[in-house]
Amino acid sequence: MRHQSILEYARFRWLKGALLLSVASAAVYIWHDPPLKPYGGTWLGYTLGTIGALLILWLVWFGVRKRRYATRLGTAQGWLSAHVYLGTALLVVATLHTGFELGWNVHTLAYVVMCLVVFSGFYGVYIYATVPHLMTANRGEDTLDGMLMQVADLDKEIREKALSLPDQILKVVNSSLDGTRIGGSFLRVYTGRDAGCPTAKAVRDLPEVGKRLSGDTAKLNHEVYTLLLQKNEILQRARRDIRFKARLDLWLYFHVPLSIALLATLSAHVISVFLYW
Amino acid sequence: MKLLVITQSRNRAGRTVQVKKEVNADWIRVGRAASSEVLLADPRVALNQGLILDRDGPVYTEGEVGNLTSTTKRAVRSVRLNPGSAVDVGPYRITVLDTPEGYSGAITVELVRPQEDVAPEFMARANKLTLRSLHLPKRWVALGLFAIIAVVFFLLPAGRVLDLPWKGEQSIAMASDRFWNPGPVMLAHQPIELKCEACHEEAFVQVKDGSCLECHQKIGHHVGQDMQPAALFQGTRCAECHRDHKGVKTTHRDDDRFCVECHKDVRGRANGAQSQNVSDFEKDHPAFRLSIPVDKGVKRVRMGSGPIEESSNLIFPHEVHLDPKGVRHPDKDKVKLDCAACHQPDASKRTFEPVTMQKHCQECHRLEFEPAVTKRQVPHGLPGDAITVVNEFYANLALNGVKDSFEKAFGVPGEGLLRRVGQPSDAQRQNALALAGKKASQVSEELFEVRVCRTCHAVLKQDGPDGKPVWNVAKIRANNTWMPHARFDHKSHAQSKCADCHDVAKSKRSQDVAMPKVESCRECHAGSQPSEKKVTSNCLLCHGFHEQQHPWDPGFKPKGKTRVAQGAAGDR
Repeated sequence: MRHQSILEYARFRWLKGALLLSVASAAVYIWHDPPLKPYGGTWLGYTLGTIGALLILWLVWFGVRKRRYATRLGTAQGWLSAHVYLGTALLVVATLHTGFELGWNVHTLAYVVMCLVVFSGFYGVYIYATVPHLMTANRGEDTLDGMLMQVADLDKEIREKALSLPDQILKVVNSSLDGTRIGGSFLRVYTGRDAGCPTAKAVRDLPEVGKRLSGDTAKLNHEVYTLLLQKNEILQRARRDIRFKARLDLWLYFHVPLSIALLATLSAHVISVFLYW
Repeated sequence: MKLLVITQSRNRAGRTVQVKKEVNADWIRVGRAASSEVLLADPRVALNQGLILDRDGPVYTEGEVGNLTSTTKRAVRSVRLNPGSAVDVGPYRITVLDTPEGYSGAITVELVRPQEDVAPEFMARANKLTLRSLHLPKRWVALGLFAIIAVVFFLLPAGRVLDLPWKGEQSIAMASDRFWNPGPVMLAHQPIELKCEACHEEAFVQVKDGSCLECHQKIGHHVGQDMQPAALFQGTRCAECHRDHKGVKTTHRDDDRFCVECHKDVRGRANGAQSQNVSDFEKDHPAFRLSIPVDKGVKRVRMGSGPIEESSNLIFPHEVHLDPKGVRHPDKDKVKLDCAACHQPDASKRTFEPVTMQKHCQECHRLEFEPAVTKRQVPHGLPGDAITVVNEFYANLALNGVKDSFEKAFGVPGEGLLRRVGQPSDAQRQNALALAGKKASQVSEELFEVRVCRTCHAVLKQDGPDGKPVWNVAKIRANNTWMPHARFDHKSHAQSKCADCHDVAKSKRSQDVAMPKVESCRECHAGSQPSEKKVTSNCLLCHGFHEQQHPWDPGFKPKGKTRVAQGAAGDR
């Protein structure tokens, strides 16, 4: 079965729904003849505001729904598709609700935070549309755990073989065995690089150091070098893998807190408006 | 090929456990994939790690073997599985046993490097691989943002209205409640912009009309409140038309929509409405109504339904006064008059000062009663005052007059009684009194009925209580404000000539009304929709919504300044 993106879920059902909502809102907005000028306090303003607020609550509820594996209310795929498209339609509904009246106040803050949430969501959609392919291609048949174990296995093999090599080489090899790390800091995880990786350094240095060797030692050195090359290749793939995972995750560190902040600004906006009705 | 696969492992007690399995296939797959015949379930093994093929005996091969048209990508390693030999496949070791009867071969598969054995120190250096494992805060950031926003943008400012512990702490609330202000208030409201409670008196209750009326005390209702149509506006809040915080210029929209909503069928809406339906100044506006003073009060007459005459009781032909050749002047030769000679803008420049006898007429129309002798004039105003002045003048002349004046005035030889030599006799005194009285009556009659008053006024001679005649001068009802509720500004029309709207050059009678028709206005003014070379004009350009009382209210009394001249002949 062909892979179906959440964007085309159920023959673009939610795209159609979102378009319908947006076009209908825009049409009523154009037809509407407010007492002074369009803003959130006309009957249309209240209507769009109510739709927008309910949409926001429903969109935030997705964070709960996606963890409810047992529920039979729609599929997770359908929910995500609706989340994406209705979140986009929210941009139209809320913009029309403002009547393009913006200022330095809590009302505009709510609008701006909402836009940030929606745009971070767009970025998430983009990430989820592009990164998984790359991730799969990078992993091949392996898993991250598998890669790490392969590295560990290689380490063991290298350690055994390198024991009888000259000290100078052993030092280089040992630094790879004892100092190589993956992840551990945000920068290393997010960039997928480790500028001072001892294994990469060993791979660079070993041919030069090994030039003077001969006989069995040279052969052994060559074997160790081959293993280090393999280790380095696996390390690079593993680092790319955690980088892809980090990219899949990072936008949520904005999307989710901003969504919660949006709940606060939205409440402040709604309550203050009616407090000073 | 028929292969016996013995999977060997150790149970918890450390005892060796063997599982035997017979595999019968041409290609025997070795790998992590579940479909592999020789399953090596360890992440360090590839899904399809290798194959065991029959090449005159079992051969283990790994890597891509390729075919005739493609090269291999990876090196191929092939190991012939001879009994007694062993192959390491990842952490597993495949040991070849002696071939049993009926089989092509037999192997033992054993995990020789279990996962837990593997380099724990490297695993320790590779345990923080995800953002979550780095403890990148998501929940705390969310809760922190929520709290900051709730406090700064809600709880602090709410202290101004809600009973919170910091209620009354102006500095706290003021610092942040401007964040609640949705937009600038109109200029006139700016002094109270930061005083939210001036309008928003009660929390969660819409702004009440009382807040508006506290300052706008004199704002008029659109129709009299005791009128039935007031019910049309029942429950209508000020804020339904007036929205503040929408910019500094205005709180309402200046278009016709609200007016037309009712006035397109005003008689259907309100029984007894006297105004006519209107929907647009250019396309659908009735003829103007003029307010004209009559015997009692003012009547309103719609133009176009027949000739309209003003009954000012004044005799005044515009034509004569605007004669291009000029009008006679008592001292000069001839004077040319223009409109501004009599109609001078008032201080507001919107309308005109009332025309008065003293300022505008008397320079030519002098009230001299004995020009042969004196330039004195009778006072303008009450007829009795004028008669008194005349009587006194001739009495004095009869008493004190020098010979020249005496003879010119009375037409008989002589001089004032007191100027004659010797004591006047009774007969002489009676004579002088009679002379003065007769002359005064004659001059008065001439003054009122022929020469002076009659020029401009309707004069009626009556017998007074003492038998002497009195003259009644008809009260002047000169109109000054024809459309008292139209917001017409003469100043903003100053580029036009007076005659463009008021055609009086040929008017011979004061009864002629020279107010422009709606068609004249339409020469320059379009309706609510823009029209080429015309001024777009909505209702509110000329009409006010909040008049003190609406003109069609029967209780309405037009209140133009000096509309009707007061006094017997007007004070002017």
